[in-house]
Amino acid sequence: MDFQRFKPHLPWITLLVLIALVGVVDDTFLRPANLLSLAGDIVPLFIMALGLTFAIYIGGIDLSAQSMANLITVVASVYLASMGAWVALLCVIVGFGLGMISGYVTTRLLVPSFISTLAVGGVAFSLAQYLSGQRALNMDAMQRDAVFGWMIGKTGMIPNELFIAAGLLAITLFIERRTTLGRALKAVGAGEPAAAASGLNVARYKILAFAISGALAAIAGLLFSVKLSGGAPTIANGFLLPAIVAVLVGGTPLTGGVGGVLNTAIGTLIVAVIRASMLYFDIQATQQQMVFGLVLIGAIALTIDRAKLRIVK
Amino acid sequence: MYQLAHVDKKFPGVHALKSVDFQIGRGEIVGLVGENGAGKSTLMKVIYGAYQPDGGQILIDGKTVRFANPRAAMEQGIGMVFQEQSLIANLTVMENIFLGYEQQFVRFGVINWKAMAAAASAQLAKVKLEIDPATITSALSFAQRQLVELAKVLTLEERVQGDLVILLDEPTSVLAEDEVKLLFKLVRELTARASFIFVSHRMDEVMELSDRIYVMKDGAVVDVVARGEKTVEQIQHKMVGRNVDKEYYREQRQIPYDAGRELLRMEGVSLPGRISDISLTLHAGEVLCLVGTEGSGREAILRTIYGMRTPLTGTVTIKGQEITRFTPRNAVERGVGYVPRERKIEGIVAGMNVYENMTLSQMGRHSRAGVLRIGGERALARDWISRLSIKASSELADCGNLSGGNQQKVVLAKWRSGGSDIMLLDHPTRGLDIGAKEDVYDMIRDMSEAGVGIVLVADTLEEAIGLSHSIIVVKDGAIQKRFDCQPGAKPSLYDLLHYMI
Repeated sequence: MDFQRFKPHLPWITLLVLIALVGVVDDTFLRPANLLSLAGDIVPLFIMALGLTFAIYIGGIDLSAQSMANLITVVASVYLASMGAWVALLCVIVGFGLGMISGYVTTRLLVPSFISTLAVGGVAFSLAQYLSGQRALNMDAMQRDAVFGWMIGKTGMIPNELFIAAGLLAITLFIERRTTLGRALKAVGAGEPAAAASGLNVARYKILAFAISGALAAIAGLLFSVKLSGGAPTIANGFLLPAIVAVLVGGTPLTGGVGGVLNTAIGTLIVAVIRASMLYFDIQATQQQMVFGLVLIGAIALTIDRAKLRIVK
Repeated sequence: MYQLAHVDKKFPGVHALKSVDFQIGRGEIVGLVGENGAGKSTLMKVIYGAYQPDGGQILIDGKTVRFANPRAAMEQGIGMVFQEQSLIANLTVMENIFLGYEQQFVRFGVINWKAMAAAASAQLAKVKLEIDPATITSALSFAQRQLVELAKVLTLEERVQGDLVILLDEPTSVLAEDEVKLLFKLVRELTARASFIFVSHRMDEVMELSDRIYVMKDGAVVDVVARGEKTVEQIQHKMVGRNVDKEYYREQRQIPYDAGRELLRMEGVSLPGRISDISLTLHAGEVLCLVGTEGSGREAILRTIYGMRTPLTGTVTIKGQEITRFTPRNAVERGVGYVPRERKIEGIVAGMNVYENMTLSQMGRHSRAGVLRIGGERALARDWISRLSIKASSELADCGNLSGGNQQKVVLAKWRSGGSDIMLLDHPTRGLDIGAKEDVYDMIRDMSEAGVGIVLVADTLEEAIGLSHSIIVVKDGAIQKRFDCQPGAKPSLYDLLHYMI
């Protein structure tokens, strides 16, 4: 079997195999209630990965996503009292704006995105520490339930987070497949010089990609803080690695241009199953990052498009 | 001694090689010709081990062999001299020659550079290249690098038992005429050591050098011609499957341009270090050729018009409007289309399909409020696929998998379908074979008839003379001379060269 033709199907096959494996070992795993709650728990991570997909799709990376989410948990906790529901808008604007700064630094000052986003992440982390006074903050439970309670309840047996995830997936999928923005991002990822020579404003599209990544990281942070009813500058630590794993395992390679948000949905489910199976196999929380690190290396090795790195005649 | 028997190769949607029989004897020089997409590249890749055939056999001295990769083929004496040179520019010549085979010079984990230099000199002597093997490769001329490449392949002679087969892929495309002569002389002398497979688009060269010529069309070998057996026209007829027009550059289709309609005017445009004081005008239906040597500033003129560079002084006026912000977006909106020289890098996006490539420059036209109308895009692509007879399985085919000529057609369709009426063509026929070249010439005449103004940087002087209404000779970034090129009263090569150098 030709691996190149098999490769696009690898993510969902991996997912099914993993589910089957864990299902065999643990017979409670496959119960619908269990699967639904697993899926519900992974939603903040999924939203972050969704955003990261845009940065990776154009051949970049956004290492600020985790710090961004941290910052937003603090922002949401601090300003919920004074702003009410408008705090959601503030969060998205902060994420979008910081993402734009990453994009600006990358495209105009020509700093590679792994450095620019790392730096912006550092700024976001500091901001979070400053805003929080380096303490864990709590939301007023009454107000949280009144304003954002709908995010974390259940409809029937389905966690409401899943509806949010589905809605965001639908929106991002629409952007990717049906809009000029999505087409332009694909062109930038697959062949930036040709996109530029076709008259596309490449810099603007790249800045937008990072801004979308920032905005989605912010939504992830908001949802996370609502779930935990509070925020802290380090509360979302441990998200970044699994989020990157979700994007890459899903089949969007670091070289960009292929894959997309649907792949990330599958990649996130793979991460969810791996995470759940680690519980069953008694792997401690402290060791989970190690597993994700190894999976990340494997995923990059398998998905990276060597045609873009190799000199082809 | 080396033989392919009924070799088949299939890719998704394409039957690239159809039961190809091929053989080459000891010391023989075999030519391989065919249009783009005829299967030459695939056949070569099968021969040097980059592809494994789906059917048929590879035989060396009657024994079946199978190559897992090019290195395995090299160990059986099959070497490849690449068209896009495979030398690493920042290594020395000797490091390049023995790249991957340094072990023979290693003593106690350290490379004995003197021994390697001596061995490299011996290899370079085979190709009669007298340079210091410790020279950094980037300091060499193209011709010299080509010879180093050949020397590198000739190291197989010491490493391999048995006969050598060396593939030369378009070895002359970057060489001057006298360098080509030297190379041919060398290849003939080297037939004492190896057999050669020679692939080129230049039919006269293939005829001159080869003992036999394999003619390919649509993935099959349609003829094998012995030396002197057929004329160039007869072989081209076999390749293309139709008669090659004597009026190669379509001069009979050249009609006067509309001098009353000015599309583009440059006045006193300067870019320090590239072009100085460029003034020219382009009219509807005019083909304006920029002629000059490499680095004379032709490309800088095109890129300035396209808005990729901002001139320091002077004005560019497109259809009566002076350009103030120089960006490609701006130029595209004013109807400028650009066909860059680097087709695979700047022309098409590999990984995107035909319709996505065609509408990339005009997504605004196919969308409302940022939402694409994909049905309309696909219809447009189907229309242009049939208009330009682009060989693609459908509008959903990946452009990266099309042959060079078809990629170029997609690039041209991208601009023409968007209604561009000022076309900047940089080497539009580079790397294309005769059939595809002729298609491009026809398209240039079609555009000219439709009132499109064309600024052309041609691949050869003959092409420039044949296609143009006017020629501007550029040297060191400045305009030397302007020629009118009415059919029947065209300047000669000599006239142009006189001002170029």
